Amino acid sequence: MRHHWGMSTTAPVRERTEEEEEVVEPDVPWVVIVWNDPVNLMSYVVYVLQKLFGYSREKATKLMLDVHHRGKAVVSSGPREKAEFDVYRLHGAGLWATMQKDR
Amino acid sequence: MAATFKRVGRDRVRVRLGLDEVAVLRGLPEQLRAVLTEAEDDPVNRRLFPPAYLEPDDAERDAEYRRLMHDDLVQAKLANLEVVTDTLARGSPTMRRWTVDLSEAEATAWLGVLNDLRLALGVRLEITEDFDGQVDDADPRAPAMHLLSYLGWLEEHLLEALSSG
Repeated sequence: MRHHWGMSTTAPVRERTEEEEEVVEPDVPWVVIVWNDPVNLMSYVVYVLQKLFGYSREKATKLMLDVHHRGKAVVSSGPREKAEFDVYRLHGAGLWATMQKDR
Repeated sequence: MAATFKRVGRDRVRVRLGLDEVAVLRGLPEQLRAVLTEAEDDPVNRRLFPPAYLEPDDAERDAEYRRLMHDDLVQAKLANLEVVTDTLARGSPTMRRWTVDLSEAEATAWLGVLNDLRLALGVRLEITEDFDGQVDDADPRAPAMHLLSYLGWLEEHLLEALSSG
């Protein structure tokens, strides 16, 4: 199943019909949010953010502190498929992550 | 608490534990495995596999996410548990100390398991405030709190070893 989440961004190119235009999702970016958790170690959250997203220690630490002090932080964003893949990896690592449209 | 985690090569982390620690760690994976495979409605599973989407408008998307991904997430956790069980069986005791060398992948599996065990314990103990590792011995939950604290201590040391070198 994991191949379903490949990071490839190439999509088949085809012409849209007018009918499709009406139902197509607006191209709104999605944000991935990590929520504060009373059990996860601060050092572990930093480690996971570095590993999954390639963030520097500084950036990962800043995000972790935002989660800790403000209750949540946006850790990544992008098209829905990418956001869902990120949530999936964060869930795999035991972080409490959700995604929503960025408004 | 005698455990040490030490990087001894680019792809190798050496774990040394007291025999009492090995005994504690041997029993835990089986408990988590049982929850993962037998009790889908268990609050531990709700924490380990939270929804991806919170907005009511996205309920269908969340159901789809769960349909596609839940089994994968469970299998990955079960695979990590197996690594811990197998590597614990592989270690060798000498002079009341127990040693095993882990590959990077095995050490990462240990990290995942330690974290999952702590999350599961946190749910069981209904921990809602940040847990700083301090335990009140008058609390009836003290033994389990000590275990949570110990596992956190192990996790911190494993993280240090993984992040070094």
